[in-house]
Amino acid sequence: MALRETAWRETVAEILAALQEERGTGERAATYLLSPYGSRMSRVLIAGTLSPPESIGRDPAQPFWRSRLTDPTGTVAVTAGGFQPRAMAQLRAITTPQPALVAGKVHLYRGNDGTGYVSIRAEALRPLDEGQLRVALLDELSQSLDRLELVERLLKEPMVPDANLRAEGIGAAGLRAAREAIRRYPAIDRSAFRTTLKLLLPAIEGRAPSPSAAPGIPATVRVTRVEAPAHRRREAPSASERANESAFLDVMDELADGSMDGYADYRELRQRLAERGLSEEAAETILARLQDDGVVEEPIMGRLRRASALTDG
Amino acid sequence: MTEAAEPASPTDTRLRDLRPTDAPVQILGRVVTVERREYTNTADGRRRTFLSGLLSDGTATVRFTWWEPPAEGVDRGTVLRAVNAQVREFRGRPEVSFGYRTRVAPASELELPPVDGDDIPLRKIRELGASDEGFRIEGRVVRISPRTVTVGTEQRAIYEGLLADRSGSIAFTSWSDFALQAGQTVRIAGGYVRMFRNRPQLNLDERSVVARIEGADLPQPAEVLSTPPRPIAEIEEAGGGESIALEGVILGLLPPSGLVYRCPTCKRAVAGGICPTHGAVQGVADLRGRFVVDDGSGSATVNAAREGTEMLWGVSLEGALARLRDAPDPTLLEEQLFEATFGTHVRVRGRASKDDFGLTVYPESIERVTIEVPTRARELAARLGS
Repeated sequence: MALRETAWRETVAEILAALQEERGTGERAATYLLSPYGSRMSRVLIAGTLSPPESIGRDPAQPFWRSRLTDPTGTVAVTAGGFQPRAMAQLRAITTPQPALVAGKVHLYRGNDGTGYVSIRAEALRPLDEGQLRVALLDELSQSLDRLELVERLLKEPMVPDANLRAEGIGAAGLRAAREAIRRYPAIDRSAFRTTLKLLLPAIEGRAPSPSAAPGIPATVRVTRVEAPAHRRREAPSASERANESAFLDVMDELADGSMDGYADYRELRQRLAERGLSEEAAETILARLQDDGVVEEPIMGRLRRASALTDG
Repeated sequence: MTEAAEPASPTDTRLRDLRPTDAPVQILGRVVTVERREYTNTADGRRRTFLSGLLSDGTATVRFTWWEPPAEGVDRGTVLRAVNAQVREFRGRPEVSFGYRTRVAPASELELPPVDGDDIPLRKIRELGASDEGFRIEGRVVRISPRTVTVGTEQRAIYEGLLADRSGSIAFTSWSDFALQAGQTVRIAGGYVRMFRNRPQLNLDERSVVARIEGADLPQPAEVLSTPPRPIAEIEEAGGGESIALEGVILGLLPPSGLVYRCPTCKRAVAGGICPTHGAVQGVADLRGRFVVDDGSGSATVNAAREGTEMLWGVSLEGALARLRDAPDPTLLEEQLFEATFGTHVRVRGRASKDDFGLTVYPESIERVTIEVPTRARELAARLGS
């Protein structure tokens, strides 16, 4: 039985900077998002100003809502759908921008052009008063700084054995995440991270109004699949390509049938195809072709269905 | 003449020292449990009886198998000496078997090795693990209280408490009255450890020896009962603890939470009006909350009873029942409990144990925590640098 995932206290900046994934092993394994600050997160706890949600589901039977959460370091999308009825109801209860605490799972979607989009699939949330927001941001800053200081230290003393660090009371999960952060982001400039974390201080000290003035991202992110030239092949597909295409659609239909919202999760699909020996690149090529041909659509990032379903909505 | 008073041979092997060997051994031990079993002899197809059970000499407990036992069997509590017994290993532990070449005869209690001899190792409480015995420990009685239990048809008074040294603490159950009192410092020999709810527990009985001692470096009861909060991951790594404290945020609520109904006799939850032990009963309404508390290092399930749940929820049992009358859907109450508590900072003290589902805390106290924002913000500002 998999243990419950710990909720990492995160600033928006750290979540947005996390563009590396690690897939866990075993049945129903979680996928972890690795940040250069030293997090290995599946569940996160974040606080900030939450905007009223907008509906982004096309099918009224499969509602899906998205808000934006803004803290002094940035803005991230917070979503909730039919899988999270509690969070969806709580999200819809937000009618004016207000401070809130959100617990949820991080979700990374990577477009064909390699651009990553991180969002939080909310599990539960609640409005906060100013005092509670300050406490939540303090918690975030404190744990973010612990992580960053560990990464900074490991960069300075890469040879210090884990046993020594553990003896100092540094947790195994944090240590593992810090080592992984250094390995995955070898070239990143971390000198700006402290400056970013400092942005939280005025809000914690109650010196600034609620952090709604930070730069936002557009409410709707339009994902354009830019196809790599190598993938463009408009000549008639070969028999083996046809076979792969039908395997792709079979697995996609199976996943869509088994999911509650009628969509196939693209990452899961890719993994299943990989088990059948179909490379990630080949899957991308097939998806691009099927989308071009109007067979498959991706109305929500990372979620696929047959395009014919469109006509229902 | 003095020779005659000695055992037939002076070479009893202590059970602690048993190793699998082809050479026959001579052992001495008390029958702790025994049962009569049968097998089918492959040669003639007849059913034969044998005895199987546990033998203990105070240094260790081993399983024994007695082929072709006497027709009258053997009583629990009997001390036996077996000469020419075979030692085998099963699942990494030694076992003894008595065959046709083994001579088994009753022996005297007095021949058992002393449980408090100087050669018995003095152990730290933290080192004690499942099915340990044959050790001595020094500790302070942190607390102790009597309880009456029913063993079969018999009522017995037992004493339950907590014993601590500088390495840790362990729950104990004493089946005899050693007149222990909280605060006393003692040396205990002849106890044995059994797992209880996934935590080691020290058991004392009439064969245990308890001596008051002075001058040992042992923590005061108050120190043990008011340990500072530790990271949840650290508590989990240690496998829980008898008296731990943690601080975190409530992020989840596990079923069954909210309004539950309990058997009036045994307080167990009743499902469909049926108590698992007492059959059909009229359930008594109660409140409970199984809160997931997360501190960023890990998470724990905190099983709050009525008092803690009422405090965190701000709704009393009567209030919850009144709400149920207005809206007869118990799941709605559970949802309201979650909404009222999600995000609350709490400090929890109590006993924690670890199993496949993670860390579970049985709290002695739950309180809301007020965070000193200005002080901690100044510390963080200093760490961030200018």
